[in-house]
Parts: sequence; structure tokens; C-alpha cells
Amino acid sequence: MNQISPKVQNQLAMLQQIQQQMQNVMAQKNQYEMALREAKRAVEELADVPEEGNVYMSVGTVMMQKKKEYVVLNLTEKQETLDLRIKSLEKQEKMLQGKFEQIQAQVKQAIDGPGTPSAA
Amino acid sequence: MVNNVEPVDPREMQALQRYLQEFGQQVEVYSQQLQLIDEGRMEAMAAIETLKSIGASSFDEEVVLLQLGGGASVRAKIVEPQRVLLNIGSDVIVERGNPEAIEYLQDRITEMEASGKKVAETIDRIRTQMNEIARRIEAGYQQSQSAASQSGQG
Repeated sequence: MNQISPKVQNQLAMLQQIQQQMQNVMAQKNQYEMALREAKRAVEELADVPEEGNVYMSVGTVMMQKKKEYVVLNLTEKQETLDLRIKSLEKQEKMLQGKFEQIQAQVKQAIDGPGTPSAA
Repeated sequence: MVNNVEPVDPREMQALQRYLQEFGQQVEVYSQQLQLIDEGRMEAMAAIETLKSIGASSFDEEVVLLQLGGGASVRAKIVEPQRVLLNIGSDVIVERGNPEAIEYLQDRITEMEASGKKVAETIDRIRTQMNEIARRIEAGYQQSQSAASQSGQG
């Protein structure tokens, strides 16, 4: 059994760390995507409500009556914010993926050996 | 029958164990999701039942017990049983007629059922993969046992 060099051990630890970071980013992205879907759905539901209809928004622990127009605007802004956050997380995810693949290739090369001839 | 049994690479076994553990964690997360979906579905069904009985009530102002928590309740009158305030998500509440609110909740139940089915399918798929990994670990273990006994004889 070959000994794994400290450098490779370090790289393996880094791979694990990156994998963990990627999982965290993906979990956060999923949460934002869910919130975005919910906001979109709420806007769709509001389309059926008459302009002067009663619409309430949760403010702290109470529900305040608001104009439909205000609520739709509020939800649209919320969607934009969520969209930006999702895009930022996607960038982060891509960057981590690139880093992961790079280290993975280095580890593979270290284990297989550079230009190792195949066994005869 | 194989005579020269190769020893199993412990790194491969470790990797398989890790995959098994990760898949186990995923199953746990999906099972929690499934439970939440199921709870939501039951809650919506209970709400439909309540709305139906409130809507069908022959009293002008039905008296109900409003639960405050801790087992404490106060009597409350439902002044408008045909008007329902419905949370449509994102902390937005709209007013709907009783039948429309029931229809909305029924649609939500259908959606939750579809989501629940998808999650259950995912769990099944992961469990199949877990069984496959467990089988490979078992085979590796058997192989290492054979290799050890062969080297002991030789």
C-alpha cells in the first residue's frame, strides 16, 4: 500500500472542504429558489384579486391591510432581490466547482504518477 | 474460482463508506421534507373540513372556541363565515369567498401530493444506490477476508 504524501493529504482535505462549501451554497440557493417561486405564485394569485380588494401583509406579528398595488410592487422587488442572490450563488458554485476539478486533477496526477506507463 | 485474490484497496472501501454515509444523510433530509409535505397536506384537509362546516352552518353568527394555546380558549363569533382570509405565500393574505378558499386549498393539496410523490421517488432511487454500495462493501470485505486467509496459508 503506497503512503499518501502530506501534500496530497492536504489536497484531499481541501477537496472535502470545497465539497462542504458547495453543499452549503446549493442549500442556500435552493432556499432562495423556493422563496422566489412562492413570491411569483403570490403575484399570480393577486392577479385575480380586484384592485380595491382586501389584501394584507404580515408586518412583524400583525397583518396590515395594504393596497394591492403596493403588495405587488413589494413582491416584485423581493423577486428581483432573490434573483440577484441566486445569480451570485450560482457564480460562487461555478467557482467552487472549477477549484474542485482543478485540485481533483492534481490529486489524480499525484496518485497515478505523471506519465505512468500502463502495466505490460 | 479465483485462486489469487487481490487485497482490496482500503481507500476504495473508505470512499464507499463515505458515499453510503452521505446518501444516508440525503435520505434523512428528503424524509424530513416528505414529512413536512404530509403535515401540510393534512393541515389543508382539516382547513377544508372546517371551512365546509362553517359555510354550511345555519346560524347567523356561529360561536366557536378560539384556542389561545396552553389549552385555553375563548368564545368567538364568526361574523362573516363566507369570507375567508387566505395566505397565498410570501406573507400575503387575500380575502376569498368560502368556496374559492376551499378550491384553492384543494389545488394546494394536489400540488403537495405531486411533490410528495417526487420526493418519495427520489428516496427510493437513493436507497437503491445505497443497497448497491452496501453490496460492493460487503463484496470487498469478503475479498479481503479471502486474501488474508490465502496469505496465511502461503
